[in-house]
Amino acid sequence: MPANATLLNGAPPTGGDVRARPPDEIVAMIEKSDLRGRGGAGYPLAKKIAAVRDAAKATGRAPLVIANAYDADPDSPLSRTLIKHSPLGVLRGTMIAAVAVGAREAIVYLHPKAEDERRALESELAKLEGSLGGVLISVALGPGGFMGGEESALMNVLESKRAMARQRPPYPASLGVEQRPTLISSAETLAWLPHILERGVRADSKLVSVTGAVRSPGVYEVALGATLAEILDAAGGVIGELKGIHVGGPTGGILSATRRGTRLDFDELRAAGTHMGSGQIRAIAEGTCIVAEAAKLFAYLAKETCGICVPCRVGTARVQGILESVQSQLGRDEDTKWLGELGDHMEQFSLCGFGITAPSILRTTMYEFAEDYRAHIEDHRCPTGSCKPVRARRYETMVQP
Amino acid sequence: MSLLERYTQPAEAQIPTVSHQGDIPAGQPTCTIWIDGQEVTAVAGEAILRAAQRAGFNIPTLCDDEKLAPAAACRMCLVNIDGYDRPMPSCHLAVEPGMKITATEDGLFKMRRQNLEYILSDHNAYCMPPCQIGCPTHIDIPGYLELMAKGQHVEAARLVKEVLPFPYALGLVCPRPCQEVCRRGLVEEEIAICQCHGYTGEMVMEMEKAPTPFPQLPATGKRVAVIGAGPAGLTCAYYVALAGHAVTVFDMMEKQGGMLRYGIPEYRLPKVKLDKELNSVWQLRDAEFKGNMKLGRDFSIDDLVAQGYDSVFIGIGAWSSNDLPIPGIDLPGVIEAINYLNQNASGDPVPVGKGSRVVVMGGGFTTFDCARTSRRLGAEVTVVYRRSRKEMGAHYSEVDDAEHEGIKLEFFGSPVKIHEKDGRVGGVEFQRMALGEPDASGRRRPVPIEGANFTIDCDVVIPAIGQLPVLDWFERSPGIRKTRRETIVANAALMTDRPGVFSGGDCQMGTVTVIQAVAQGKLAAKAIDRYLAGDDMSLVASEIQEEERVPELIDIVPYKPEEPQVRMPFLPFEQRVRSFELIEGGYDKAGAEKEAARCLQCVCPDVGRCHLQRLSLEHGLTDNRFHRAEPVDYHDYEYDFSHDFILRDLNKCINCTQCVRICRDVIGANCYGLMGGGYDSIVTTPWNVSLSYTDCVSCGACAETCPTGALMMRERDLETYELDIVRCIYCGDCVEVCPHGALGETPNFELSTYTRFGRTVLAKEELAVARTWKPSEDIPTNGDGKGGVRPPEVRPPAPPRWSA
Repeated sequence: MPANATLLNGAPPTGGDVRARPPDEIVAMIEKSDLRGRGGAGYPLAKKIAAVRDAAKATGRAPLVIANAYDADPDSPLSRTLIKHSPLGVLRGTMIAAVAVGAREAIVYLHPKAEDERRALESELAKLEGSLGGVLISVALGPGGFMGGEESALMNVLESKRAMARQRPPYPASLGVEQRPTLISSAETLAWLPHILERGVRADSKLVSVTGAVRSPGVYEVALGATLAEILDAAGGVIGELKGIHVGGPTGGILSATRRGTRLDFDELRAAGTHMGSGQIRAIAEGTCIVAEAAKLFAYLAKETCGICVPCRVGTARVQGILESVQSQLGRDEDTKWLGELGDHMEQFSLCGFGITAPSILRTTMYEFAEDYRAHIEDHRCPTGSCKPVRARRYETMVQP
Repeated sequence: MSLLERYTQPAEAQIPTVSHQGDIPAGQPTCTIWIDGQEVTAVAGEAILRAAQRAGFNIPTLCDDEKLAPAAACRMCLVNIDGYDRPMPSCHLAVEPGMKITATEDGLFKMRRQNLEYILSDHNAYCMPPCQIGCPTHIDIPGYLELMAKGQHVEAARLVKEVLPFPYALGLVCPRPCQEVCRRGLVEEEIAICQCHGYTGEMVMEMEKAPTPFPQLPATGKRVAVIGAGPAGLTCAYYVALAGHAVTVFDMMEKQGGMLRYGIPEYRLPKVKLDKELNSVWQLRDAEFKGNMKLGRDFSIDDLVAQGYDSVFIGIGAWSSNDLPIPGIDLPGVIEAINYLNQNASGDPVPVGKGSRVVVMGGGFTTFDCARTSRRLGAEVTVVYRRSRKEMGAHYSEVDDAEHEGIKLEFFGSPVKIHEKDGRVGGVEFQRMALGEPDASGRRRPVPIEGANFTIDCDVVIPAIGQLPVLDWFERSPGIRKTRRETIVANAALMTDRPGVFSGGDCQMGTVTVIQAVAQGKLAAKAIDRYLAGDDMSLVASEIQEEERVPELIDIVPYKPEEPQVRMPFLPFEQRVRSFELIEGGYDKAGAEKEAARCLQCVCPDVGRCHLQRLSLEHGLTDNRFHRAEPVDYHDYEYDFSHDFILRDLNKCINCTQCVRICRDVIGANCYGLMGGGYDSIVTTPWNVSLSYTDCVSCGACAETCPTGALMMRERDLETYELDIVRCIYCGDCVEVCPHGALGETPNFELSTYTRFGRTVLAKEELAVARTWKPSEDIPTNGDGKGGVRPPEVRPPAPPRWSA
C-alpha cells in the first residue's frame, strides 16, 4: 500500500457537520483539492457541481445526485472494492455532493451482480433509516453489460428505458434523469469528499485495478503521477517479459513496454493515446499477439455497443472483422490504412464516449506494435505463433456491376 | 430551453412547430446563425437542421422527423460548429445566436459516405432491379413479369406500353441490354425478359383495339408533326397522341416502320405482324400517316410551321452508309448496305443470288443483317471485321447464329483494295490487323501488321461500316445545328436550337439500337407535351436529365432455387438457308407465364421513395468494401408479412428509431423498440413477435415515417372487406377514423381503393356486390374458362439462412 493511500486507508472520516457549511464553501474546498472525476474523463467535480446548481436555480427543478458504482468494466471493480472497504464512506460522499448541489435525493447505482455490495449499502442505509444528513439515499441496479455504466445510458436506465447513450449536450447537469439537473459522479470521486471536507487533502491518489501478467493482481490505490512501471511493481511485478500495458479497460489503448515510464495522469495518458477509462492496468506478457488482442477487444465492443449510432454499432463489428482477417492471415497491405480511416470515422462521428474512445485501441496498437501487424499482413505469419485463424473469408469490395 | 426539453414539455409550454417549409410566424423570437457563410434566421430553440432546411440547405438525415424528439442515431446530419471540438448532430443541437456552422465540407462528406457504406454493408435487401436500369426505356420489368406470372397479360401489356409501345417488335429485335444484367443470371440463367414482353405484344395484337397504358386524354387542339415513321418517330407519335395532341407522321417511304421495315430482314421481324403492332398508333384519335413525303424534297420545316403545326419531331434515322475510301469502291458489284436491305425488304430484285460469293465488311447489326440475308438468298458469305469477335457491335447471339447458319467469319482484316475482274468486282484485298492500345471509346484500336495481306475472291462486296443521317435538307432549315459527326444537335429535352423542333433517334444520336430510339421517342413526346403546355424548356431539360440519371445501388442477392430458362422454339439452322421465315418462334401462354414466374422480383417497392437510396446516390456510393465475408458478419431476418396492413422487413431496417418514437410518442401504441444487443441491435416488436400481437392500431404512421422499405403499407384491394349494406347506418365513422383517407365522404358515400394501376372508385352499393376486384377488362383465356379469376398473389419467398 502506497504511503499516501487515502480512500482504502482505515475508516472514512465523517466530513464534519456538512449542513453547517455553506455550499459555496464546500465547492471551494473541492476546487482547492483538485478533485477530478474518477470515472475516466477527469472532469473537475467542482465545475460539475456548479453547473448542476446553476441549472437547478435556472429551471427551478429539484436536482439529483447519482453515485455511479456500476463498475462497467468487470475486470476493474473499483467501486465495489470501495464499498466493501467502507459503505459509509461512499454514502457520506454522496450526501456531501447532494448538500453541495442542494439535492434532497441521491441514488447509488450498482451493477446487478454486486450482491454483497448492495447488501452492505442497504444494511447501512437501514441503520440510517434511508436518510443521511437530510438526504434521501436509495440504491438502484443497472441492467448489466458495459453500456449500463455510461452516464447517459444510466439516465435512461433510471427512467426505465433501455441502456442507450444520449447525445450530449445537453449534459446531465442541465437535463438529467427526468429532466432534473443531475450530478452523476463515480462512487470513487464522491468517496473523496469526506476526506476533503475533514482534512482539506488534495485528491492525489487513484484506485486502479492491476490485472494480466502480474504476480498479485487486484485493486490498488496509487499516487496520481506514479509511473505504470511503479504500479505494475506494486502489484508484485510482471510475470515474464512485459510486451505491452493495456490502460483504461476495454476502450483503452495498449502501450508498448518501452512506455512503462508513462505517468498515471489524466492528461498524460490521453497524450499517450489512451485514457484513464475504467482504471484497469493490464500487463501483457511477451508471447501475446497484439493483433489478436485488438480483435478480441473489438469483438467485446461489438457485443456491448448500445446500437443507437451507426459508426459504433456497425463500425465496431466491421473493425473486428478486419482485425480478425488480419489475425487469420487474410490481411492485405491496404488494411492498416483502412483501419486508420475507420478509426478516425468512429472517433469523429460516434455519439458517446464508447465509440469516441474505442479507436484508441487501433491507434496505439497499429503504431506501437506495427511489427505484429506487418508480420501478419506481409509475411502471413503470427509473430508470436499464438494466433489461430478465426475466419475463412474476409471483406471484399463489391463494385457496381 | 434545450431542444430535448422542448419535446418533453406539456403541450401548452412547447414552442410552436415551424415547418421546415413554412415561414416563421410573426412575433416568433428569432436569432441569427451562419451556415456555410450564409446568414440564416432561426427560431430560438429550434434545431440547427430545421433552420438549415428552411433556408434551403440540404443536410442529409435518415432519422429526423420534425414531429419527433431527435435521436441523433443515423449520424448523417453532423455539422462542424465553431467552438465544438467534434462534429455535432444538427438535428439535436438547438441554435444559439451567432453560431457559425459548416454543413458542406469534404471531410464531412467523406464521413457521411462512410456511414452510408456501413449501413448498406448490412442492408440485406434488393434495391433497383438491374434490368430496369439496363433498359434505356426503364420499363418496369419486374412489374410486368409479375402480372404475366399471374396470367394478367393485358394488364402486363398496358404496363409495358407505358414506355414501350411496340413490345412485340422489340421482343424480337432488341439486343436485350436488360438480360445481360439480370440477377437471375447469378442463380443459373437470366430471364428471357424481351421474349416475355414479346409474348404480351403478340397476344394483344389480336385484340380489336390495342390496350393503351391509359385512356387517350381529351383533345388539346395542338398539332404535332413527326418526320420519320421509324421506332423513334412512331413512339413519339404514340405518346404525343395519347397526351391528346393531333399528330401527323410523315415518311419518305410508302409504308410505316422505317428501319424496322426497310432495314431489318423478314426472318428477324415478320412485316405483317409489325404492321399490326404499329397500327396501334393509328387507332388513336387524330393520328395520321402520310407516306412518300420526304423532308427536303416534298416539304421543309418552315412549311410545317406555316401549315399550323405547333411542334415538330425529326426522327429521320440514318439512311446513308459511311464511305469506304479504298481503290475499286466504285466497281460494279459493290453495293450499299442500307439500299440492299431496303430493296430486299421491298421485294425488289437484288444482285445477290444462289452461288454468289459475298464479302460483307463490318461488325455491327447491319453487317449481319446483310450477311444473313445474302445467306438466305443462297450466297456463300464471308464477314470480315478489323477487330476481334469481342469488339463486334452486333449482339453475340447474332454472331453465333450467323456462324451456325454457315457464314464464314474473318477477323483482323481491314480492306485496302477491291480487285477488278472482267470489269466488275473480283475480290477484296485485306490488311491483317492486330489489337493495339484502347482508344477514347475504350475499344482497342486495330493496328496493321506490315506485309500480312490476304485476298478473298468474291463477286459482291457490301461495306457495312456504319450509317449517317441524310441531312441534305439542312440548308433550308435555319436554327438547327449539326455536329461534326453529321448528327442533329439537341439538348437533354431533345429540343434543337430552334424552339419547338425536337429530334431523336439515329439522326440525333448516331446509329443506336432500336430500344434507344424508342426511349428517345418517349422522352421527346414528354418534352413536346411540356413545350405545348408552355413550360420553361431549360427546366424540363434539367428535369429529364435528373430523371435519367442511373439510380443503382449495391445489394446482396438472396438465394432462389434453380430453374432453367424456358426455351422457345427456334427455326433449325439447316432450314434457314433460302428461307426468310421467322427464326424465333415466341412463347405460348404457359411458357410465357412459367418464364415470367422465374423473375426474382429483385426490386424494393420503396425505390424512389427510399431516403437511404437517395442519399447513397447523392454521396456517390458505387462500391462497398464490406461484402462477401463470413455469414456472421451480416444479418438475415425473416420477413413479417403477417400483419394485415403493415409489411415488415427487418433486413432493410437501419435502426433510425423513427417508428419507435412515432409509435410511442405520437400514436401511443408503443409497438416497437430496440431489441437485441450490440451489433445485433434491431428495431422490432417485443420478442420479435408478429406486429398483429402488439397493440398496433394499424394507423400506418410507422410505415409512413420509415426512411427505407423496412416498414411498408401492404398493397390492398377491397376483396377482403365485406360490407353488410343492410346494417350500415351511414354514420360515417369509417370515414372519420381512416387515417389514409381511403374512404371519402361524398353525397353518395364513396369508397375508394388505390391500386398499382391507379384508382378505382366504388360506390357503396357497388362495393356490396363487388366482392372480388376485377381488372377492367377480361383476361383472354386459352379456352379453359379460367380467365378473369385472379390467381393467388406471388410474393418473393424469404431468403434461407446463410450457410457457411
